[in-house]
Amino acid sequence: MSNSLIIGQYVPSDSFIHRLDPRTKITMIFLFVIFVFFANSAASYAWLTAFAVGIALATKIKIPFILRGLTPVWFLIIFTFILHLIVTKDGDILFQIFSFPVYSGGVIQGIAISFRFFLLILVTSLLTLTTTPIEITDAIESLLDPLKKIRFPVHELALMMSISLRFIPTLMQETEKISKAQASRGVDFKTGPVKDRIQAIVPLLVPLFVSAFKRAEDLAMAMEARGYQGGEGRTKLRELKIEKRDIFSFIIFGLVIIVLFLLRV
Amino acid sequence: MKLRAIDITLSGMFAALMAIGANITSFIVIGGVPITLTTFFCILAGLLLGSRLGSIAMIVYALIGLAGAPVFSKFSGGLSVIVSPTFGFILSYIIVAYVVGKIVEWKPSKRNFILAALIGFVINYVFGTNWMYFSYKYLAASDAISYSVAWSWMILPLPKDIILSILAGVLAPRLYKNINRNMIVLKDKSIA
Repeated sequence: MSNSLIIGQYVPSDSFIHRLDPRTKITMIFLFVIFVFFANSAASYAWLTAFAVGIALATKIKIPFILRGLTPVWFLIIFTFILHLIVTKDGDILFQIFSFPVYSGGVIQGIAISFRFFLLILVTSLLTLTTTPIEITDAIESLLDPLKKIRFPVHELALMMSISLRFIPTLMQETEKISKAQASRGVDFKTGPVKDRIQAIVPLLVPLFVSAFKRAEDLAMAMEARGYQGGEGRTKLRELKIEKRDIFSFIIFGLVIIVLFLLRV
Repeated sequence: MKLRAIDITLSGMFAALMAIGANITSFIVIGGVPITLTTFFCILAGLLLGSRLGSIAMIVYALIGLAGAPVFSKFSGGLSVIVSPTFGFILSYIIVAYVVGKIVEWKPSKRNFILAALIGFVINYVFGTNWMYFSYKYLAASDAISYSVAWSWMILPLPKDIILSILAGVLAPRLYKNINRNMIVLKDKSIA
């Protein structure tokens, strides 16, 4: 449980996609999300889908596993499709469901929009499936580096993300411990009227907050004691490096986008 | 913007607390409904850390969620959350913590703590619901979800969130005193 929290949705593997620099992946996915909205013909949708599925296959993650990760959003995709089926009134009436006429325009639009949804969700989830949150944190720090010029605390933000990721499992255990300790003193979290149960949150939260702040203080003191001076002149445990495969994938991506614009109507 | 080590650790820790708040139902069950305490924790972030650190903590929370850590409600996370209609609520936490912090920094009285918490709650609902409405309208490209329908979805959790916001306003001064008593670093400079 706590283990799955640190790595998030990450599935370890040694595929080409896994080994790409996280910055390459973030940039390409960001661009892909924008270009998905440019698709406007069946051919362009098919092209983007082929590309997205190609990447999904290249990750070497089992397809059922990827699809299972999409379960929370299946509802959204299907809901969007049905919405368009019922509401849009273009073209000819194809058939009727419970006296609701279904128009051909509705079917086409429904498919197009839910496909766009599907593409967006598939590609964005591929990032978090192949990259650990820590790698993404490093990449964000590096990508936002130019913002340091306007005195935006990029390094500090990345450090906060790492601290937060590190302490989520610890605080989870702490919460469990406190809730058990309070239950043994007779606090009832599970039964009784709603009012009582909302009140039962208080003896859980006060110790949790105090302990979280205490930990923050200890950590800050440890940092001060070791002479923490902010990001200036700090070296890194994990260095990011752009390699040949990153440049190669940027070229491929560029070609995909050019073809996309040729396929547009 | 100069951030001390304690500012960094406090914001990071509060982002971690948000993750606990989002999934507190795995520890306590209230009425069988999957409740989250994110709004509650977010208001507390503004009240306890102040506008600057509070909003930074919320940015950190949103970022680690988007980076794939399952910190949002129902242990969800990942970049695909951006497409979900409820993403507006996550964004609204940043504004909520900022505004709530500003109010109590302006005049830290017991009454203002509760007032700030309620204002924070209103911002959260207005921003989140509008985002939901517009994301259905543009992303799903459909007019079928009218403005009033979007709001009607929010009626169910409404009473619970009002009660929790008031509780946050009442609890914050108590927590603040308790934390201040236990900590050395913070004593010289007040945070709320």
